[in-house]
Amino acid sequence: MAGYPNGKQFQHWTPTGMATGLSAIFMANRAALLRFLRARGAGENAEDLLQDMWMKLEAKDLGPVSDPVPYLYRMANNLMLDRYRSAIRRERREQDWAEGAGGVMADPTDDVPVDERMILAQRLDEARAVLRDLGPRVELIFRRFRIEGVGQKVIAEELGVSLTTVEKDLQKAYRAMLTLKQKLDTE
Amino acid sequence: MTNEEAMAWVIRTRDPAFTDWDGFTAWLERDPANAQAYDVLMAADADLDAIIPPEPVAMPVAANDVGVPQRRPLRWIGGGAIAAALVAAVSVGMMNRADIYTVTTRPGETRSIALDDGTRIEVNGGTRLRLDRNDTRFAALDSGEAAFTVRHDASDPFRVTVGDAVFEDAGTVFNIVHTPGAVRIGVSEGEVIYNPGAEAISLPAGRALADDAQGLRVMDIAPAAVASWRQGRLVYANAAVSDISDDIGRSLGIALRTTPGARAMRFTGTIRLDKDPARFFAGAAPLMGLSAVRQGDTWLLKEGDGPQS
Repeated sequence: MAGYPNGKQFQHWTPTGMATGLSAIFMANRAALLRFLRARGAGENAEDLLQDMWMKLEAKDLGPVSDPVPYLYRMANNLMLDRYRSAIRRERREQDWAEGAGGVMADPTDDVPVDERMILAQRLDEARAVLRDLGPRVELIFRRFRIEGVGQKVIAEELGVSLTTVEKDLQKAYRAMLTLKQKLDTE
Repeated sequence: MTNEEAMAWVIRTRDPAFTDWDGFTAWLERDPANAQAYDVLMAADADLDAIIPPEPVAMPVAANDVGVPQRRPLRWIGGGAIAAALVAAVSVGMMNRADIYTVTTRPGETRSIALDDGTRIEVNGGTRLRLDRNDTRFAALDSGEAAFTVRHDASDPFRVTVGDAVFEDAGTVFNIVHTPGAVRIGVSEGEVIYNPGAEAISLPAGRALADDAQGLRVMDIAPAAVASWRQGRLVYANAAVSDISDDIGRSLGIALRTTPGARAMRFTGTIRLDKDPARFFAGAAPLMGLSAVRQGDTWLLKEGDGPQS
């Protein structure tokens, strides 16, 4: 089942500026990007988000981008992630305000309270144990990928293992870490 | 329970080389709930940063120069055998690879890099850093800000090149900011030598050096204030608002301008960072005796007593 409404009149805007080839590529992929944004959960805001993207592209005045189409999709995906994050933040903020927490502190000696630090240290210990149980290769691959931002193909070449091995190891690590995260959140 | 399909897409789309956006779209369209599951897991993934422990490294921290108050052990000590295995694996994998590579962060983005030799570099937003795969004792901070926690080796000192200047460690935790007009360094542990081949200025913990329009000068800094951005705070003692606004822009990933009047002001205190600029400025601007106004995509910091917006 497609998760987006069809048959809506598209409102077009005229591209100005942006002398790079990105503008042509944006226009050529406009329909596909719109479809992606709708599938991604943008609903009736998909058109607006696309316009936001356009304005960002114009403002940035990017030089040549090596892989323009994936670049545009990543940008659209990031927009949706930002939207989700700000919605969560808004929720949390309303909660914070209800609890009377402020955003700024004026006292430089005001540090993280001791019990909070102990909880943090404990969480790190738990995560360390989870990673250790996965074995050194899985931990190494997870760190290369998640902390250092190295791609799976590059990691496979570095370690001389197959891409499938890297994929499986990463899934193992992610499964374990996300499970731990859920456990910590409900504690 | 973790949604396995969504998790697989989180991993795939996080790969810098990911290109199968059509396949991703098709999966999203299969079920409207998929987008939600993906969002939830991407948010959980982002939160993992807070619980992933720093990389364990087998070797102990070098004994340091005497006279440094309350040296505490670096936080990643205590890795044991796994650590040794990790270090070995990374070394083998990287030995034969080409030399210099660049690490860049977008404004507002931070990254943590563990070098093979046990040195850790935390990179603040809007930064460009060059490293050498064949020489883990080299780093060049082309622009932006980074905090270095260096494993000391007197026979092979760690050197950071910043423009024309060189900083050489003597067993150290230090933070460097490099903007078009200035270089600032603060030392929180150990000691750093500025331009060992020329001025050779020694900067022990608690000392800072700035080289900007006013020339080269050395001052005191609270060790706890060095690289406080890593804890989501900016700590200042009589700092110029022009410097502070650079730090804010880099840390929050926003374009920030200041009026000449605001630039001339100074501030002492702690500002807690908040990724929501409106909320951040609502608290931080009055604290500095300033007010912040949003102007389209940028923010303007100006002298206070204007109407709060």
